[in-house]
Amino acid sequence: MNTITLKIDGADRKVPAEVIDKKVWFKIDDRTFSYDLVELSQSSHVKTKSASKSPDKITAPMPGKMTKVFITEGQTVKKGDPLIVMEAMKMEYTLKSDINAQVEKVFVAVQQQVTLGHLLVQLKPEGVS
Amino acid sequence: MKQIRRVAIANRGEVAVRIIRACEELGLETVLLHSDVDIQSRAYRLATKTICIGPAATALSYLNIEANINGALAAGADAVHPGFGFLSENADFAQQCEKAGLVFVGPTSAAIRKLGDKVSFKNLAKKAGLPLIPGYDGEDQSVSGLLKEVEKIGLPVIVKAAAGGGGRGMKLIREMSEAKDLIESAQRESQSAFGSTQVFLEKYLERAKHIEFQIFGDCTGHVVHLFDRECSVQRRHQKIIEEATSPSLTDDLRRRMGEVACTIAALGKYTNAGTVEFLLQDDEFYLLEVNTRLQVEHPVTEEVLGIDLVKMQILTAQEKFIFSTNEIRIPRGHAIECRVYAEDPFMGGVPSTGLLGTVSWPEGPRRRYEYGFEAGDTITSNYDPMIAKVIVWDENRPRAIQKMVRTLKDSVIFGVHTNIPYLIQILNHPEFQSGKMTTRFIETYFAEGLKSDLTEDQIKKWAQEVNKNLKGSVTESNSLSLVSNLPSPWGSHWRAV
Repeated sequence: MNTITLKIDGADRKVPAEVIDKKVWFKIDDRTFSYDLVELSQSSHVKTKSASKSPDKITAPMPGKMTKVFITEGQTVKKGDPLIVMEAMKMEYTLKSDINAQVEKVFVAVQQQVTLGHLLVQLKPEGVS
Repeated sequence: MKQIRRVAIANRGEVAVRIIRACEELGLETVLLHSDVDIQSRAYRLATKTICIGPAATALSYLNIEANINGALAAGADAVHPGFGFLSENADFAQQCEKAGLVFVGPTSAAIRKLGDKVSFKNLAKKAGLPLIPGYDGEDQSVSGLLKEVEKIGLPVIVKAAAGGGGRGMKLIREMSEAKDLIESAQRESQSAFGSTQVFLEKYLERAKHIEFQIFGDCTGHVVHLFDRECSVQRRHQKIIEEATSPSLTDDLRRRMGEVACTIAALGKYTNAGTVEFLLQDDEFYLLEVNTRLQVEHPVTEEVLGIDLVKMQILTAQEKFIFSTNEIRIPRGHAIECRVYAEDPFMGGVPSTGLLGTVSWPEGPRRRYEYGFEAGDTITSNYDPMIAKVIVWDENRPRAIQKMVRTLKDSVIFGVHTNIPYLIQILNHPEFQSGKMTTRFIETYFAEGLKSDLTEDQIKKWAQEVNKNLKGSVTESNSLSLVSNLPSPWGSHWRAV
């Protein structure tokens, strides 16, 4: 770990920092930040975080295992319907639909291990042809 | 007296380290029974001996009774400490240890069956006229049958794994429309965590506090309570912050609850360490369950009483520990424990995994750190997200809270995100500081995790600045290593001409 000096709101702050596994880590006050070195070198317009947040794409919020897939391709789902249950660190997480939609494609099966951000389900929002 | 020379540890992480330390202080050797991925852990490096008992999947290693017993026997252990979680409350495991001639560091298998099994515990408490929460614990485990019982009890209702503990396989039903999904989910979690789909139902108390009493039975069968802890700060029924003693108990309540705790323990002929859990609402208390093992939050009891529960456990297993009858135990000051989870509080608390860089826990008076992993170890998604515990003690509760905030602020963990910012916000919350928080505290104030008040651009700017600074220091060290590639000055001086 290194301690570097960072100017924040006009004041020089001592900030613990370190590069681990292609990410830069640093701590300011109570909060620890990490930033991907590859993303860091790209201009801010390239990074499209909104893609993973679009409600028609259900992505894994964490690495883990699929324990239940409630849906099949072609069926319709309502806002709030459970789509998939996954397990990580011995806890279950239920992924629900944020929209009324038709299930266009299911990319995973029960027992499958996925990484963070893996696309699990593609939905087709209601009223969009 | 039972001869114990070498203790096998059927566990991992920080509790394995805790047990190794206690054994070594008592002059005993240790054998860590670990899964293949856990060679990357502190316990692996600290144990006298280590034996790999299976792959990462818990069912094949830490929950595998045969593998644990075979490992312990192969390593020449004469006792097994199960820690908490995994097989610690499994009566079959305790019994098979007994059969194999291994001393089980904990209660007898009979006591685990009587008090650890929730159905048997309830029957025992009911018969003795002890206070219980209304619920259903019948044989009909069909989803339709359970749904009818949920209606009968009246919402909100909680579903729990009959074989479980620690929040696994536990779900809260608030709306009848969610009931079916939640019951099925509880059954699946229960199957995956404990190998049984059996669940029971209970009325959910809305404004309850979680209070528990540490109990301890010495080797003569004399059971005492070692006062109370409060663990009302829970998320998804997993405790986050625990303290001793509870800020909510009057002397009268403490005395009455302590008596109930000792009564139920005595009915189960309890020996060794255990915990009797209660819910307290409007000065009425209800027995919740007995945890027939060492508890995650045992350090806060140790800090206010100045005792070592793990050593007491081992000495009791050796039949060396007897409470003196005229000993007066009075808790002093206030202790708080915070559980450090590998998760990102700014992303709704999703698990965070990765290679650990710096792990720094700065020392100070009455700060205590229990941790299982260090720089170079990898936190995987195979196991529980709790990677460490921070415990502080001070003269009174407000000072202990201040000390905990400072201690958490001093700590640095790089490589995984942790709930430390979340813990600090909880500690600073007026309701927590008032001591009036209930088990709904997190749900009410912190359900969504933390909101970032920083823009992505700001964070990126800092990260770029930090990275540039770091590169500066890296280049320096690189330029040093370049020196060796330059022609040696000696060579230049003694050049042949």
